[in-house]
Amino acid sequence: MSATSLTSILIWLPIAGALLIWLLPLSRYATGSLALLFSLAEVGFWIEQAARFDFSRSGLQMEERAKWFGDLGVSYHVGVYGFSLWLVGLTVVALAAATGYGFWVGRDRSRAYFGLMLLLTGATVGVFEAQDLLVFYAFFEAMLIPLYILIGVWGGAKRMEATIKFVIYTMAGSLLMLAAIVAYGLKAGTFDLIDGPTSASRWLFLGFMLAFVIKAPLFPFHGWLPDAYREAPPEVSAVLSGVIAKAGLYGMLRIAIAKFPDPTSFYRTTLLALAAAALVYGSLLAFRSADFRGVVAYSSLAQSGLIALGLFAGTDLGFDGAVLQMVAHGLISTSLFLIAGAVERRTTTGEFRLLGGMARGRPALATLLMLVGVISLAVPGSASFAGEFLILAGVFQRAWWWSAIGAGAIVLAAMYMLRLISAVLHEARGSTVADEALDVRPGELALVVPLVAGLLFLSAWPAGISHHSFFGQSPAATVKGQFK
Amino acid sequence: MTGGSWLCLLAPLGGTILILLGGTKIPRVAAAWIATTSVFVAFGGAVWAFFGVRSAPTNVGLGIVSPFPARGEITTAWTWLASGHFSVGLQLLVDPLSAVMMLIVSGVGGLIVLYSIGYMDGDEEERRYFAYISFFVFSMLLLVEGGNLLLLLVGWGLVGLSSYLLIGFWHERPSAVRAAKKAFVMNAFGDAAMALAFFILIAHTSSLSFGVLDFGLSTTQANLVALGLLGGAAAKSAQIPLQTWLPDAMEGPTPVSALIHAATMVTAGVYLIARTHPIFEQARTIELIAAGTGALTLLVAGLIALVQTDIKRVIAYSTMSQIGYMFLGAGVGAYANGMFHLMTHAFFKALLFMTAGLAIHALAGEQDIRNMRGLGKLMPFTKWCFLAGALALVGIPPFSGFFSKDSIVASAAALGTWYGWIFWVCGIAGAFLTGLYTFRLWFLVFPGEPSPFVREHHHDHHGREGAWTMLVPVGVLAVLATVGGWLQWSPQWHPFTDWLAPAAQTLTVAEPTSTQEYLTSAATVLAGLAGIALAWAIYSERRVEVPAAPFWRRTLEHKFYFDELYDRLFYAPGAWAASFLRREFEEPVVLQTGRDLGETTLATGGLVRRIQTGLLRTYVLFLAAGAAGLVLAFLIAK
Amino acid sequence: MTGPDVAWYVAVAAVLFGIGALGVLIRRNTLVVLLSLELMLNAGNLALIALSRHFHNGAGQIFALAVMAVAASEVCVGLGLVVALNRRHLSLDVDTLSELKG
Repeated sequence: MSATSLTSILIWLPIAGALLIWLLPLSRYATGSLALLFSLAEVGFWIEQAARFDFSRSGLQMEERAKWFGDLGVSYHVGVYGFSLWLVGLTVVALAAATGYGFWVGRDRSRAYFGLMLLLTGATVGVFEAQDLLVFYAFFEAMLIPLYILIGVWGGAKRMEATIKFVIYTMAGSLLMLAAIVAYGLKAGTFDLIDGPTSASRWLFLGFMLAFVIKAPLFPFHGWLPDAYREAPPEVSAVLSGVIAKAGLYGMLRIAIAKFPDPTSFYRTTLLALAAAALVYGSLLAFRSADFRGVVAYSSLAQSGLIALGLFAGTDLGFDGAVLQMVAHGLISTSLFLIAGAVERRTTTGEFRLLGGMARGRPALATLLMLVGVISLAVPGSASFAGEFLILAGVFQRAWWWSAIGAGAIVLAAMYMLRLISAVLHEARGSTVADEALDVRPGELALVVPLVAGLLFLSAWPAGISHHSFFGQSPAATVKGQFK
Repeated sequence: MTGGSWLCLLAPLGGTILILLGGTKIPRVAAAWIATTSVFVAFGGAVWAFFGVRSAPTNVGLGIVSPFPARGEITTAWTWLASGHFSVGLQLLVDPLSAVMMLIVSGVGGLIVLYSIGYMDGDEEERRYFAYISFFVFSMLLLVEGGNLLLLLVGWGLVGLSSYLLIGFWHERPSAVRAAKKAFVMNAFGDAAMALAFFILIAHTSSLSFGVLDFGLSTTQANLVALGLLGGAAAKSAQIPLQTWLPDAMEGPTPVSALIHAATMVTAGVYLIARTHPIFEQARTIELIAAGTGALTLLVAGLIALVQTDIKRVIAYSTMSQIGYMFLGAGVGAYANGMFHLMTHAFFKALLFMTAGLAIHALAGEQDIRNMRGLGKLMPFTKWCFLAGALALVGIPPFSGFFSKDSIVASAAALGTWYGWIFWVCGIAGAFLTGLYTFRLWFLVFPGEPSPFVREHHHDHHGREGAWTMLVPVGVLAVLATVGGWLQWSPQWHPFTDWLAPAAQTLTVAEPTSTQEYLTSAATVLAGLAGIALAWAIYSERRVEVPAAPFWRRTLEHKFYFDELYDRLFYAPGAWAASFLRREFEEPVVLQTGRDLGETTLATGGLVRRIQTGLLRTYVLFLAAGAAGLVLAFLIAK
Repeated sequence: MTGPDVAWYVAVAAVLFGIGALGVLIRRNTLVVLLSLELMLNAGNLALIALSRHFHNGAGQIFALAVMAVAASEVCVGLGLVVALNRRHLSLDVDTLSELKG
């Protein structure tokens, strides 16, 4: 197997797995095992890909290209850069954990469920690897379909409302993006992201950006977020905020910023303001949310704002910090939602007034939540601290007040995260916390611990990502040179 | 010597990991001893590093104007964080300053962890405690050994984290959880201020090594950087205006108060100023503001300590007050004096907390000094050790505080300016207050016949005043608190200052003459004695009534209303803004927009669905009509 | 060899197509609807072949073959549906089969 085919394998293996699961009339147990096997194989292939990736070389690697609609300049063109490599890794790891969680809680209609999870894996990897706008669009949409169904079928009590909002918001963004893609591609004569020229059109830029700010999301385009994160099954919320939101931010980096340099600098202040608003607004609302998932949902909004702040700073530190923070926050929020799921399974609720005192007698749960919680509030020395530090240092070079706002929001982050930790773990026992509610089981540990281990590894060596995402000494120059 | 520094740093971390992974599989005693051993191993590493520095050649010519310190060494394990041209290594610095700090942290830390074995015996979650406390020692060592500003900040944040964990150790007490959160959030403010200062440095020098502090910054930039660092230092060291978390932090177990909130972590601000002194010297105004902050805090904290009734809170306020002295010393440029007081303070304040802990332990958790009268009769060892600590704290010769505190006040006098003399007066007044509140505590708790409460609640530990693990460290620290100051008597001999000179040379303006030294010493000792005498008159002999002054009493009991002020200024508006945004924007605008979009779409769908009659023929008709329409369109277009 | 003008063929095809279309629209019996549908398809075939001959272009004939294949498959499916309806004792009246009403 050559290194190049790894790129395609990573996309198509889980999709093939999905088809297999839909075709074979297997039992729930067998289906879950098979899906998990596929997810783990996916992680294995990614490790192989990372091992073969040459960080000392510039440009696209493990590239694969086949003609699709030749006369329109559309081709099946996939490949990876340093930063997309990390995001693919985040995707396969987070989705493996989510699939494992679905298996652990024994979701009903298992063939449909696991097939969709695998389809989601393949499509998301496709988004991060696509180097052709139409291929990108196809995967971007393909990623949404399983999500609609997963939320709408396996979600909580208000799942229909959540799904409809999610569908409408994301569809509106996607369609404008499609229009922008078509307009760009026809004008440029190619849909290829590498061959295609940069464009100065502000309308096209806005068309792309709308899709991405809805997906990320940034304030005030987050109308779909609170309901979707609360009503989706916990493992789907985990994927949604940990991975799917990153697709929006990735799009900003790979397409909006790289292909539209002039509009980016024209709208820079507006976008930085939107990002800062998302950061502050999300932090404030997280501070007043009354339930576990609410806090994590709004903190995800804040984190998206922070990452966008780094991206639109347009400086070396900003880009590196943003990529690092995407991965770190992806792992954090995946773990947090899985832990939220574990808490909800034991107490039937995530509401703070009904929770409390879970640390007593449940050391593993307490340790995990505490660990992920303090990493998420960016305690110095953690991976997220490294990411936030780089982002804020990067945006400082643009103007000092962005960093001041960001630093203030990080104090808020400490407040809401500590509130979450103590509301769940500490003080008097909540009315829904039964004495016999168990500690985290080995099965759940096996899902969350690898994610936490990843976070700890990144905390020990954040340069592993921050210095291995863009080729060369200056990420800003690399982005400007369109990653060539 | 770098081997020593790595050993010193990693041993406590190893201890934490062992205890954490061991979980319930290892017995409680084992966890306790793992932690203790790991910290003593760290002490061994510190000694190794210390002798390494001692034998290293001095190249004073280089100065600390880096990249390498004059006497010492930087080792880099790997590149921790890098981006573009900015790169920060996971590096340790061993120089005279960090060697001293390593010795204090691991030495006093080891004693206190040993003490915890007895103190925490029987607690249900003992293992967690020992994991946390060795993690704290690791973080503190990272803070003092960190070879660049970013790693210093990492250690800075991690000690804040371990402080949070340990204050909230008894997590079922709402007050403990609240105090822990408060400590963390106030320190987060400090961290944010420091981070902003670092951003300025990165923007202008793209580096965070200690060396960049020396050059290339304009006055404004230097001022801003120094201000940010001072913000961090004030938060960590509980100086005004970021002091309110420290008294509440006494909710944690007593050894924690001794280690973190007296001996080591809270004094980190002083270390920070000494370590980053080049920038403070470029921003002399800010440095003097630091000194002023210290002077103000030492008075305010001393006053508040007068009315506290909780034994640990009195000592906590005295800690704030003493750190005020250290800030004063470091702020006027007498870094070595500040550091020397940091060291002696670590001895006697840890001693005071630990003797208080013995008393609290013997009285089954009672902390109100009004109930403790006459405890000395039942606990003589505790009584005499406490007395040694108290005398050291007040600065009565030959106890250690005398040697370290007086030289700070003398340095303020050496400035010779009007503010120098104000600092000097504050220092003397502080000595008086120290005498007063310390011996108020002493006279209320130890002498005399045991009160009924004490008789009822006192219980000894197998005929002794505590487990040997508690008594040994107390004894050792009592000796250190007594003789620790003899290391240096500024007018006559000053090996400590000479030792630190390559890392943090005392400014010439802050070098007092011998006359100033002697005069200041006389004044402070007299003030301290006056305080003791007044305390004796009021609390022992009851010859003097406490003045009623209800306004002042209320103000002091409310700690000058800082908590209330911050609540009104920051918390309440923040909470209000959050609720307001939720009520007035998130619900009606953002979420409602989503809902409206959904409903509109559904309603439109409801209209359009009438076309779907379910009758085949209608569909066919539409099809035919569509096809005909298309044909027509093409024909017309042609 | 000469025959009638191509217009005649096309006219016949149009008439056939009209009859078929009317049948689909008006008749309610499923089988007759299917028959009418076949009629329309074959009208299309007739037109294709006639024009193909007229223009000396083979593509039309090939296309007609493809239409025949489609028609055959369609009849299979259609008749299969009719049989399935019959098995379930459902009416063969297309108007009663309006399950998909919106």
